[in-house]
Amino acid sequence: MTAAPRISRRSLLAGGLGATALTALTGCGGRSSSPATTLNVWGGVPAESGPADLIAAFEEAHPEYTVNYTRFINDDRGNLKLDTALQGGVDIDVYITYPMESLALRSGSGMGLDLTDRVAAEPGFEPFLETEAPRAFWQDGRITALATARSPRFILLNTAHLEAAGLEVPSEWTVEEFVAMSRELTTDGRYGCYSLPDLPRIELGPNYWYTDSGDSNFSHPVFLEHMQLSRSLIDESVLFPWTEVLARHLEVFQQNGFVAEEFSLWATEPFSLRYLQDPEEYPHDFTVAAAPMPTVGPDSWNSGPFGDFLMINSKSTKQDLAWEFIRFYIKEGPPYLAPGGRIPTLENVEDETVLTGLLGEDADDWFDVDSFRRVLFEDETELYVDTNLTAYPEIDLAYQQQRDLCLIGERSPQAAIDSVDSQAQAAIDRFGKES
Amino acid sequence: MAVSVAPAAPAPSAPASQAGPRARAGWLFILPNLVGVTLFTFVPLLSVVVLAFTDWNLVSGLGGIEFIGVDNFVHVVQDPTFWGSVGRTIIYAGLSVPLTVASGLALSLALDRDIPGRGALRAMFFMPYIVSTVAVGMTWLMLMNPSAGVVNQFLAMLGLADLPGWFASSYWALPALIIIAIWSGLGYAAVIYLSALQDAPTDLYEAAEVDGAGPWRRFRTITWPSLLPTTVFLLVTLFIGTSQGFGLVALLTSGGPGDSTTVLPYYMYQTGFQFYRFGYAAAIGLVTFVGVLLLTLAMWRAQRGRALHD
Repeated sequence: MTAAPRISRRSLLAGGLGATALTALTGCGGRSSSPATTLNVWGGVPAESGPADLIAAFEEAHPEYTVNYTRFINDDRGNLKLDTALQGGVDIDVYITYPMESLALRSGSGMGLDLTDRVAAEPGFEPFLETEAPRAFWQDGRITALATARSPRFILLNTAHLEAAGLEVPSEWTVEEFVAMSRELTTDGRYGCYSLPDLPRIELGPNYWYTDSGDSNFSHPVFLEHMQLSRSLIDESVLFPWTEVLARHLEVFQQNGFVAEEFSLWATEPFSLRYLQDPEEYPHDFTVAAAPMPTVGPDSWNSGPFGDFLMINSKSTKQDLAWEFIRFYIKEGPPYLAPGGRIPTLENVEDETVLTGLLGEDADDWFDVDSFRRVLFEDETELYVDTNLTAYPEIDLAYQQQRDLCLIGERSPQAAIDSVDSQAQAAIDRFGKES
Repeated sequence: MAVSVAPAAPAPSAPASQAGPRARAGWLFILPNLVGVTLFTFVPLLSVVVLAFTDWNLVSGLGGIEFIGVDNFVHVVQDPTFWGSVGRTIIYAGLSVPLTVASGLALSLALDRDIPGRGALRAMFFMPYIVSTVAVGMTWLMLMNPSAGVVNQFLAMLGLADLPGWFASSYWALPALIIIAIWSGLGYAAVIYLSALQDAPTDLYEAAEVDGAGPWRRFRTITWPSLLPTTVFLLVTLFIGTSQGFGLVALLTSGGPGDSTTVLPYYMYQTGFQFYRFGYAAAIGLVTFVGVLLLTLAMWRAQRGRALHD
C-alpha cells in the first residue's frame, strides 16, 4: 500500500485561491443568457405604476416575445446596483437612466448602444435628432439615449386656502407675484410655500452652473438673489423652515407637508400627482389646482427637464428586439405610463389621454382639472437637457451643503454662494472643462 | 457493553501515512471559510490597494482602469475636505469612545452588586447595542426633533431658552451623533467590564480592607489596574468601530448640515459611491487604515506594563 500523497499547505492555499478566482470569474464574467425571445428591461418606476400595463400591451402586440421588468430604486444605491449589473454582465437589454451624472457615465463608458441610425430611420422620431434643444443624449455626435418623459415643473395650490384668502388660480405670473401670493397665504401655523422656485434655472436654462467657457457660473447675480430671497422669506415665516426640512428629512417627503396642509403652494413635477389621488395613503379633503412656474422675464425657462432616458445595453444580444420595445414604449406607451406621472417627450398622444392617466379616474374629486390642462398642455414650456456635466456630483453636493447652511441661518447668502463658487471652480479645474 | 475511547492526540511526529489524510481532512474543513475569507476579505483588500493607484469610475469596467501613480495620494494630502473629515472623525471617536468606556465602567460598578433586578437591568442596558442602526437612528431622529422632539421639550421644561437644533444645526449634529454612539455602546462596555470584574482578585480586596483602604483607594490600586487590559481592549475595538462609523451618519444627516458630520467613512462613501471616483476613495481608505492602525498601536504601547496582571 502506498502512502496517500500529502497536500502541502502552499498547494492547498494555491488551490483554494484558484477555486476562489474561478468562482469569482464565473460569477462576474458569466453572462446569463435568457432566450432570444425574452427581453430584460430595468426601470425605476414601480411595475404597477405603468410599466406592467405597458409590457402587457407589448406582449399582446408581439405574442412571440416576453419582457421581464426589474425595478431598481432611483437613488445612489439603486443606480450603483444597475451599474454593477451592467458591468457584471447581467442580462439587461434595455434600461432607463434618470440622473444626468449617471447618463454621462454610462454613455461615456460605452454602456449605451449608438441609436443614431435607428432614430433617423424611424418616422416620427425626428424631434430626437434636434440638437439645439436636445431631447436625446448625444455622445461624440451620436445618440446614446432618448428622453422619454417631459417633467415640466408647476406650482400646486391648495384651493381651500386660496378660497379662504379670496385668491384666484393664476394663469401666468412673475416671481414677485408668486412671492406676494405666498405672503397672503401665510397664516399662524401655516406657511405660504414650501420653497422658492429655482430662480437661476428659470433665468439661465440649461448648463446654468457653467459659463460659456466652462468655468463656474455661481458668481452670476441670480444665484445670490435666489439665496437671499429664500433666506429672507424663511425669516418672515413665508417659506417652510429649513430646519424642519432637515430635521424631518422632508426634501424626499414634501408631499407629506402639502397633504397635511403645512403649506399652501408647492413647486413640483408630475410624479407628485399620484400622492394627491391616493386618499388611503395620503388622506386629505381639499382639491388641488395648478399654476405655471412664475417667470423672471420674457425668455424664462421652465425649471423642469426632459428625462427618463431610455438606453439599449451595448452588450445586448437582442438589439433589434430591444429597439422594437423602445419604439413601442415611445409610440404606444404614454397612456400606460401617465399614472406614474410620465408625460411623453413626443407629443404623439392625445392630451386628454395623458391627463386622465396623470390625474386618475376620479380627477374631479381631487383636482381642478382645467388648470392642469392649461398648465400642462396649453402653455408653452421651455424644458432643458444639461449637456455640460463636468464635476456634476461634486458641484451638486457643494451647492446642497451651502444652501442648507444658508437656509438654516448659519451662513450668509454671500458667504454660501462664494463657497459654492470656489468649490465648483476647484472641481471643474480638477476634472476638466467641457463647454 | 462496548466502550468507546476517544482517540489520543497524534504525536507531533506522526508518520506521513497517518498525518496526510488527517491534514487533508483538516484543510477540507477550513476550506469553505478559507474561500470565503479570500473572496470577501483578501481579494477586496488587495483590490483597494491596487485601486488606490488608479483612476476608475466602475462603469467603464476593468478596461477603464487607468494607473495614475501616486496622484490620488497627492490629492488626499491637499484635499481640505479630507482633513476636515479627519478632524471630525477624531472628535467623533475621540469623545464618544472614552465617554462610552467611562460610562460603561461606572454602570458596571453600579451593576456589580447584589441589587434587585440586576439581570433585567443588564439586559436593558445591553439592548441598544444589538438593536439595528436603522431603528436606533429613526427613534433618535424623532426624539431630537428641534421643535417637537421629546428631548427639547424636556430641556424646555428645565427652563432652557436656547434649545439645540440637533440634526438641523451644524453645531449640534456631531454632538447628537456622539450622544447616540455613547448610548448605543454603553451597555456593551458595561457587559465586558462586568465579566472582567468577576476576575478581580478578591484576596487583594480583603487584604486592602484589613489594611484600612477605603473604597476609592481600593478602586485606584486594585480595580482599575486589574481592569486596564479590558479598558484597552474596549478603547481599541470601540475606536476602530467608531472611526469606521457610517450607518448613523448616512441615516440621520448624510454628512450635513453643510459638511458638519462628514466623517472619514462617509467621505469615502461620497467619493466612491456618489462621485464614482473609486480610485480616490480607495486612496482615502488606505490612508485611513494606516492612521487607525498607528493610533491602535500607540494605544497598545501606552498600556503595556501598567496592568495588574502584567
